Amino acid sequence: MKRRHSEPLQQGDEVRYASGDWHVDEMMATHYAAGTVSDAVAWSLEKHTENCGNCATTVSAAVRARKDTARVLADVRSTLLGALPPQGAISHRVFSHPQPRHTRLLCRAIWAAGPALRGAWVVAVLLVCAGAVSLAYGADFTGARPLLLALAPLLPLAGVALSYGPSADPVHEITLATPSGGLRLLLTRCVAVLAVSLPLLTAAGAIVPNQSGAPGPATWLLPGLALTAGCLGLGSYIGCSIAAGLLAGVWSLTMLVPVLLATRRGDGVHPESALTEQLARVVSGTGQQSGWAAAAALCAVLVLLRRHAFDVEPRSPRAPHQ
Amino acid sequence: MNFLENPVNALSITGLTVRHRRTIALDAVDLDFGSGVHGLLGPNGAGKTSLIRVLATVARPFAGHVEFLGRPLSGHRELSAARRRLGYLPQDFGYYPGFSVRDFVAYVAWLKEMPGAETGRAVERAVARVGLTDRIDTKMKTLSGGMVRRVGIAQAIVNDPAVLLLDEPTAGLDPEQRVEFRALLRELGEEGTTVVVSTHLVEDVAAACTEVTLIENGTVAYRGTPDSLAALGERWEDEAFAGSPIERGYAAALRLRRSGAAAQEAGR
Repeated sequence: MKRRHSEPLQQGDEVRYASGDWHVDEMMATHYAAGTVSDAVAWSLEKHTENCGNCATTVSAAVRARKDTARVLADVRSTLLGALPPQGAISHRVFSHPQPRHTRLLCRAIWAAGPALRGAWVVAVLLVCAGAVSLAYGADFTGARPLLLALAPLLPLAGVALSYGPSADPVHEITLATPSGGLRLLLTRCVAVLAVSLPLLTAAGAIVPNQSGAPGPATWLLPGLALTAGCLGLGSYIGCSIAAGLLAGVWSLTMLVPVLLATRRGDGVHPESALTEQLARVVSGTGQQSGWAAAAALCAVLVLLRRHAFDVEPRSPRAPHQ
Repeated sequence: MNFLENPVNALSITGLTVRHRRTIALDAVDLDFGSGVHGLLGPNGAGKTSLIRVLATVARPFAGHVEFLGRPLSGHRELSAARRRLGYLPQDFGYYPGFSVRDFVAYVAWLKEMPGAETGRAVERAVARVGLTDRIDTKMKTLSGGMVRRVGIAQAIVNDPAVLLLDEPTAGLDPEQRVEFRALLRELGEEGTTVVVSTHLVEDVAAACTEVTLIENGTVAYRGTPDSLAALGERWEDEAFAGSPIERGYAAALRLRRSGAAAQEAGR
């Protein structure tokens, strides 16, 4: 702690107190206790007694010798001791953060989860889940399960795209200049997105009745993971938002093209059964699932190899103002 | 917190070249910044933001080296170490509208890996230094533009950075806030922080900076103190050019540079 040395000591014999080569005598201590010394002398005395034990004792004795001061001091002491909580309770109530620990951890977790979990994305996930369930039960729509399975892998992709990157995160530029920015923040947000979307969408899939022989409600998990990991891997080259868009496009086309072809042929195949068939081709069966698992693992390795690409902006999305 | 005794310059740049596609934003720039407040002046598009973004470790240079507190910014570990000691206010920055001022600054403190026990107090101190203590629990979306920028300054200084990079921090501040901000800059400089502040307001430099660097067209056009720049302006007094000496100095340095005579004049 830096202290100011140049207290105003300009005139008369006050100057000698500034030199440091002096001590407090009885008379001065008595005057100080009575409050009859000048400010400059009082300051010098206070400064001096910080480092000089003998003089501190002298001053202390002089102050205690005055009955009025002694009584005030005793009063303050007893009042203060009465008002204080028992020892140990102080550190939590007074000195630490006012919030309890678990609330703080929850806040941290939501912060780390970033923008997607607070915004429209959560609403979108809930809408897709609620939509599938209500279509199946309310409208007796037999294609609810395949539709949900076809849409589900897109949602984590959208979550990642909305969580990280210069176009998605308004604070991106600031986060990138911090040690937690880059890949670590991206992964944190990715995990948060998956932690919300995987259970919700899978649970919705399990609730929806399976009338058309569509694949099981958990079959989308590995494709979903592989696409998300692919988004990170590809994102290390072209940025996560564009990567997510590309992969979402590829997945949507894979699902839509057979359906459109079936409708175009007009041979009486329902769009939902065309979608069910296509889903079965892409996700059902051990071969397909192992394929998706391998893809997810490969993409994870790619992310690991490319981890330093996230240290700075993967690309320059816009020419910055200069 | 005092780095004055450190003989190494906090920032040392050699041969720095930054490109945006085909245009060259910075062309083989050599610069050193020690503790104190350094003003970065220059016309729009001169390369100030490009320089600050490279120093902030956000953008990768096309060529050249940056040493941060005596260490090259080579690997991931060095980058993380530098980022812990860094404060950065981008020219354009966003925020999460639902966050309060305290949340926002604390979030950045958390990203900067500050110990949790210190964060609360550091946040309050940083917010107090930009004069927003009475708004600390206000939602960001209800703040005025000038207040948002002050919150931006608070998040930059929350970790008591050794190197503080501010890109156009006075944009959107009213004259009174600007005066207070300059006092804060001087205080930070006296504490031994290396402050690099880009601005297009010459009076910011005159009032707050110990050194001035003029960037023009991707190169260093002038280096000196605000006084030496003002002295350069004195020589152009006969010209029909209104303004303070330092503004005349700014114009003179640019003109000298453009006329090609600056090679001798650029204070080296």
